[in-house]
This record gives sequence, structure tokens and C-alpha cells, in this order.
Amino acid sequence: MGILLFLTILLVAACGLIYELIAGTIASYLIGDSVFQFSTVIGTYLFAMGLGSALSRYLNKGLIQRFIWIELMLGVVGGFSSAVLMWAFAFTEGFQVVLYALVVVMGALVGLEIPLLMRIVKDRYSFRDVVAHVLTFDYLGALGASLLFPILLIPHLGLVRSALFFGLINAVVALWSSFLFAPQLMERKGLRAACLVVLCLLTVGIAKAKQITATAENNIYADEIIFSKDTHYQHIVLTRFKDDLRLFLNSHLQFSSRDEYRYHETLVHPGLAAIPLAKTVLVLGGGDGLAVREILKHPQVDKITLVDLDPEMTRLFSTQSLLTALNRGSLHSPRLQVINQDAFPWIDQNRDSFDFIVIDFPDPTNYALGKLYSTAFYRAVARHLSAQGFIVVQSTSPMFARDSFWCIAQTLREAGLQIFPYHVYVPSFGEWGFVLAGTHNYVPPKTIPAGLRFLTPEGIPLLFQFPPDMAPLPMPANQLNTQVLVRTYENDWKDISH
Amino acid sequence: MKIGRRKFLGKGSAALIGLSLKNEKKIAGSFVNEAAATGHLLRDRTPFPPASQAVKIPVVIVGGGISGLSAAWRLRKSGFTDFVLLEMNAEAGGNARSGQNEITSYPWAAHYVPVPGSRATYVRELFTDLGVLKDGRWEERYLVFAPQERLFLFGRWQDGIEPAVGLSQNDKEQFKRLEESFRKYHATGAFTIPVEEGLSQKSADLDQVSFADWLKTQGFDSRLLNWYMNYACRDDYGALARDTSAWAGIHYFSAREAEELGPITWPEGNGWITKRLLERVGQNIRTDQMVHKIFSSPRGVRVFANDTEYRAEFVIFSAPTFLAPYIVEDFAPLKNFTYSPWLTANLTLDRLPDSPGAEPSWDTVFLDSPTLGYVDAMHQSLRTHIDRTVWTFYWALAEGTPSQNRQLLLEKDWNYWKEAIFRDLERVHKDIRQCISRVDIMRMGHAMVRPSIGAIHSEERAALKRRKGRLLFANSDLSGISIFEEAQYQGVEAAQAVLTNLKGSR
Repeated sequence: MGILLFLTILLVAACGLIYELIAGTIASYLIGDSVFQFSTVIGTYLFAMGLGSALSRYLNKGLIQRFIWIELMLGVVGGFSSAVLMWAFAFTEGFQVVLYALVVVMGALVGLEIPLLMRIVKDRYSFRDVVAHVLTFDYLGALGASLLFPILLIPHLGLVRSALFFGLINAVVALWSSFLFAPQLMERKGLRAACLVVLCLLTVGIAKAKQITATAENNIYADEIIFSKDTHYQHIVLTRFKDDLRLFLNSHLQFSSRDEYRYHETLVHPGLAAIPLAKTVLVLGGGDGLAVREILKHPQVDKITLVDLDPEMTRLFSTQSLLTALNRGSLHSPRLQVINQDAFPWIDQNRDSFDFIVIDFPDPTNYALGKLYSTAFYRAVARHLSAQGFIVVQSTSPMFARDSFWCIAQTLREAGLQIFPYHVYVPSFGEWGFVLAGTHNYVPPKTIPAGLRFLTPEGIPLLFQFPPDMAPLPMPANQLNTQVLVRTYENDWKDISH
Repeated sequence: MKIGRRKFLGKGSAALIGLSLKNEKKIAGSFVNEAAATGHLLRDRTPFPPASQAVKIPVVIVGGGISGLSAAWRLRKSGFTDFVLLEMNAEAGGNARSGQNEITSYPWAAHYVPVPGSRATYVRELFTDLGVLKDGRWEERYLVFAPQERLFLFGRWQDGIEPAVGLSQNDKEQFKRLEESFRKYHATGAFTIPVEEGLSQKSADLDQVSFADWLKTQGFDSRLLNWYMNYACRDDYGALARDTSAWAGIHYFSAREAEELGPITWPEGNGWITKRLLERVGQNIRTDQMVHKIFSSPRGVRVFANDTEYRAEFVIFSAPTFLAPYIVEDFAPLKNFTYSPWLTANLTLDRLPDSPGAEPSWDTVFLDSPTLGYVDAMHQSLRTHIDRTVWTFYWALAEGTPSQNRQLLLEKDWNYWKEAIFRDLERVHKDIRQCISRVDIMRMGHAMVRPSIGAIHSEERAALKRRKGRLLFANSDLSGISIFEEAQYQGVEAAQAVLTNLKGSR
């Protein structure tokens, strides 16, 4: 009896600590700022435990029965706590409310356990021994749990199943308590039936844990995920909601099929249509084939070279039917050559010359990408430009990242080019900016390909006007040895997300 | 089945340990570029075979490190081609050698040159010649890319190597006061690169006290400040502050103009410069040539290498000066030439370790490590996606005496050093054993000259630098500081002295 009793205490203590750790970990994962999350979760939890202990004085009769019910409640609440928190984050806006409510409920239930147990065993041992034994096993259980959590549970079971597993332990403790204390229990059948129900519930939960997390993650991307792949280079996610396809690379939105035409028409035609008899075009980045789709609208262009790092990206956009419908099979054009290589080394080694060069890289979110926005890179690109040619660079938002936009413009200027910055409104992005650059003056085109949905010859000159809130700022050029753009970009977005 | 408690516990803990000890990865590698055996033939005065042929040639350069290559560069640039450069190793380059594997090229020793100041005219001339300096602009792709350096301290990363985290008010004040002090020394004009330009008796007394003592008497007792000063001495001199003269310690911080540009570097470090110099002077170089005897007289110099005797009018001795007593007839033993033993290792990484909280930098240093950390060869790559790389790991064996450490270098096997390197890296990169597939180690008993107390201003050094007679010394150790700029300066100066003398004698 003694050993089993203390094992019960040990297990109960372990469960209590695990729920606390799980709540803290999930809050840190989902919201970040782990110091804040852990501090407040632990604090609230301990406070609720105190509340539970205080409440224990109001429980007078049927202590064992009450203890078993508490175990069962804790098994359900704690066991499903992970799943509930993930769902709350994915489907509601009140994640924090749910988080602290759960922490208070679990803490209070855990706080009830030890006082009740002490009172249950108080007649068997002296007061001195009760306190010593109960607290010893309580702390031992906590130690075990705190070691198991990072070493075994998180890596092998994951958060959802760890919680369910410990819920199961609470339920088992409840069931065996009904045997352990059988002589003192009036009514056993009902209690044991309740235990079995809870056990079943948690077992089903464990079996379905995968689906629980999948549903929640599905919703964190807001829409149905139709493609998700970790390639050698990036994490590609494609989502669809009704007729809206969205592409995310490393969680950054690349386009929405509803308004990407605004972006890609504006990226390509103001520059390309202004070059008389442009024959050769180079696209750097842009593995989605959408810029190529626009370029193909210029019949005089007879050779397009697309350099994109990730073969998975160009494969996906040349095979997936929704995507080939979007880019009109541009990646299959006989006028196109696809090269899957890193852009900077490629541009360094290649000797061809191009009439129009489209640079459509992801925003400079890290030092690796920052290299592709440097004076060294633009100098290397400029060597490929024919005398009449232009370069166009996707240059992030002149509205949300105004410093970054003008930093990119200044970088092109420092690379020895004349610059002609412009911008467009893309609803899913907001105001978006581009910089045209070349070795001679730019005159907006009088004619552009027929059938465009957004651009008109009359509208093009207007794109080059910047209202005061996006007007030029004096910025340094971005160089490989300074990488000022990466820091500037980080600050720009930090400013608006606060 | 009944499992005893002890047995159960045993199994349980084995399972737990099994989780943390991931499967051991096989790691290849060896000692490379071993030169000790050849060098020790000289030390042990092993007899060499007599010469079987004689070659008459106006100029011989002994040693193909940066000094010798620079002398050759100056000779050829002046239109003088009638010379030969004799290199002991299979490859020229000395401390500016490099290696290459399927991932990248990488340095074996020196790996950067700070942007040269206005007085380093020879370096500026060379860099103009090599396209590093074009129309007054430093080539961007040869400047260290950002982020440059990071230091791991107190369980986290910071930008830059000078400690900036966990400083008390007192620490901060001391750093500031020391910086101010260095600025004043810079203003005196006595601390320059090349050293020779500014050398004056006015500051010679600083050469008579150790850097550690100088710091102490100036009231600099901050632990972090002293760590940083020791790091600097280990990095440039392979010595602790207590084994470095105060003059040299101050020189490290006071010789350069405040530069906003980071140093100049390449994936293979200064091996890039060696390659460019070899393109220009390679045809004059003879490798695997062990110079074992030199007789110098007022009429000419006889140089014996392998089984050949070279009869030269002038000889530039670019090899480390400590070899001279073993090679040059009637050369007095040296008193002021101490050398620091080093170990460098090139580590092939099949994947990058997790280092949360830090962008991969060019140079990584750990606070309180006996080593100097590592440099990432792929940092200067233009690629955006990097999944494999080579790290060059630097370790100046500064604790203890140089001779003890040379002994240690020779005695311990490859596995010993490999493990020592891993233990150092594991302080920060817990998963490093899973990342590294190859460890090549180069041991250098006399890697660089050490600016010990009194060395730089010694009369012995001054006499060798006067370059009288037909045998002209030119190693960077004449400056007392083993850096690229000094090696190049001494080499070029020696070549110019030879050119002047040749003109006079013809």
C-alpha cells in the first residue's frame, strides 16, 4: 500500500508539472517571447495551485471519491490542453484568454491534489511523516517530469500526444485509486465506469493526434494547403481559397492569383515595351513563370533565360495544373531556357548580353539574400546589359519599407546606372515598388501588348510619381561588406508591425 | 519475466544515454604539410651530399613565402629576370599557403590583409597590380562580407570580437580609457605599418616591459579587457600578453588608421595573393629545394641546395632568420628571435551546425577558449545557398613556453588534436561531431616570430635590417611582427637593395 500510494503522488506531481510546461512551451512556440510566456504561465499556474489548496478546505466528505473525480477532470483538461491551445490559436482570436483560463483550471485542480492526498493518508502516518513523504515524492515526480519533457516527450511524442499521454496517466491513477482505496469507497461501479470513459476518450485522442495538429496547422496558413514541400532550398506552400491561389516561400507571401497580374504586368511591360526590338531577356528568380508569361506577350522577344535556384519551384510551376493555368504554361515555351543555379555565381560566369533583365528575388530578409541586392551584384548584372537595355528590380514596398526601397535605388545608382523608380498598388501586398535602371534615359512606351488587365500606355508615366509619404530618402548603397539593406529592411518592418 | 531493479535501472539509463549520444560519425583526416622532418635535418646538422653541379646566376632568393615571392615580384616588375627562388617545400607560399577540396579553397595560415593605410605603399602598389584596388576603390567582393565577426560569451552571441555584453561600468570605462590611450599612441607616429617607417628610440622603453605589466601599471584590471588584449596578442603574435612586449601590444591597436572598411580576404585567405604572385613569378621558382649551406664572401655567395651549388652575386634570405645559424657559415647564434608554435586545422563540414541567435559570420571566437576560433571559407562565396563549408581552425599554443609546446605538437597524435579541437567547438556547437567529416591538421613549430620584450628594438635586428654585404635578410621576422605587410615590405626592400647594388657593380 505504502509504495503504491507514494507512486501515485509521484505520478500526480509529474502530470501537474507537464501540463505547466506544455502550456508554457506552446505559448512560446506560437507567440514567441519565451521568457515572458514562461514567466506568466508559471506564475499563473502556481497562483492557481494556491487557489486550489485554499479551496481544499471546503471539501469535507468523501475525500477519496473527490480525489478520483479531480484526477479524471485533470486527465481530460490537461490531456487535451495542447490540442485546445493549438486550435484556439488557429481558429480564434482569444488564444491568450484560453491559455490563461486553462492554466488557472489546471493549476487549481493540481493544487487540490496534494492537500487531499495528505488528508487521505493522515491517519496512517504521523503528521511529520505525512509531510515528509508526500512532499518528497511530489518533488521527485516534478524532477522526473522536468527531465522527461525535453529529452523524451517533446522529441518523440510531440506536444499534443505528450499532454494526452499524461492525461491518460491521471485517468489511470484515478482508476487504480478506486482499487487502492476500495474499502473506503461507498460507490465504486459508477466511478470506474467514468474512469473507463475518460481512458477511452484520451486513447482516441492519441490515435487521432496527427489529424488534430494537421487541422490546426492548416488553419494557421488561413486557407486550404494544396501543396507543401521542404525543398533543398526553401519551404514552398501553396494555398487555395475559392479561386484565390497563394504562394508562400518560407512563409512569405509571393503572390495571390487574384491580383498578381497587377504586379507582373507592372514588373515587365514599362521596361520591356520601352526597348525597341528587344530580343533577349533574362529573368533572375521568378521560378513561378509569371514574369515569363508577361514577357511572352512581346512577340519580338525570341530568347528568354530564366535562372532560378530551386528546381522544385520550376518543376511545380510547369506541372501543377492550377499553376500552369495561371502562368499559361509559360515554362514550356520553346523560347524559354530554364537554368536552376545560384544567380550570383551564374551571372559572374556567364558572358551573354541581354536587352532586358528582370530581377525578381524574395525581399532581403537575410544576409544570403542581401548579396543579391548589392552594388557588386548590380555591377555584375550591368555587364550583361545591351546598349539599349534596361534592368528592372523588384524592390520591396516604398510605403512599408521606404528606407529599403530607396536603399535599393541608391545601390543601383552607385553601381553606375541611371535609375527610374516606380510603384503600383497590389491589394494583397499593398504599395509595391520597382526600380528600372539602365545606361541611358528612360522614355515610357507609347504602345504596350494588347489585352493587359491593368496597364495602359497613359497610366505608365503615373507610376513614376511618388507622393510625399513614399518620396525619396537619402540612403547609403548596399554593399557586400556592409549589408546595410538587411538591417534597414528588418527595421522597416519592425516599425510597422508595432 | 522478472527484471531486477538494478538491471532495469541499467537498461533505463542506457536508453536515456542512447538518446543523447547520437551515432558516432566517422571522421577522416591526417597531419598535412609536415615540414618538421626536413627542417630538423638542419637542426641536427645532418650531412648533405656534395654538389654535383654548379649554376652561375646573379641573384638567389632563399624561401618562397610572402617575403621571397614579393622580392621576386619586385625584381621582375623592374625587368630583372635572371634569378632563382629556392623553396624547401613542395609548394611556395609559406604562411600564405592554401588548400582546396570539392567544396571550396581554404587558407592554411594567414587569411586576411587589413585595408592598407597610406604608409603601406608597397601593399597598395601590389593590390593595384592585382586588381584589388581599382580607381581608388577597393573591390567589393574582396572586402569581408557582413557580418564579419562574432563572439560567443555568457551563453550568447554578439557581433564583433571586442566584448560588448556583460560589461560593468568599470569595464566600459577601462575599454574607453584604453582606446583613448591607443589613439594617443597612434598620433605619435611611432606605431606604423610597416614597423620600420615609425620606429624611433622615443618609444623604445615600451619595448622593455611586457604588455601585461604595462596594462597593470596603467590600472587596467578589467577581466574582459585583459581577455581581449590576450586574444589580440595570441592572434597576431601567438603569445600571451605577458610574453609580448608592451610596444608590440600597443602597436596592434595603434598602428592602423581608423578604418570603416573591414579587412580584405578571399576564400583561400592570403593563398589568393600567393596564387596571383605565382602567376607573375612562378617560372623563377624551384620547389623541393633544401638550402643547406651558404658561404658568403665579399666576392659572391655560394648557395648549396640539394645537390646543386648556386654561385650568386647576391642572395636574399627570405626564409625565417632562425635558420641562418644552421645554414650560413660563421653566423652567430641569435638572441632576439623567438617563435610561436601554432596549429591550424581545416574542418570539412557536410552540414552547418545549429547556432541559434547568430548569423553565420566570417570569424567566430569563443570567450575564454585557449584557441582562436575559426574562419568560414564559404563566407566570401557569392552563393545564396550554402549547405557545406570548410572552417579553418586556429590555435596558437601560447600557454607555457614555445619549446614545451613544440614538443607537445610533435608528441601527440592526430587523434589527440582532433579531440582537443572538437572539445573546444562543442562548448558552443553541441552537434559539431555530426557536421564534420574531415579534419586535416597542420603543425607549425615556428609559425611566427614573437615580439618578446626588447626584441623589436634590439641591435641584433637593426644590424640584420641594414642589409650590408651580399647576403641580405628579408623575412618578416626582421620587423619583429609576422604579418603580411611586414613580409612584403622586407622582401621588396631587399629586392630594391639588390637592384641598386647590381647597378653599382656593373
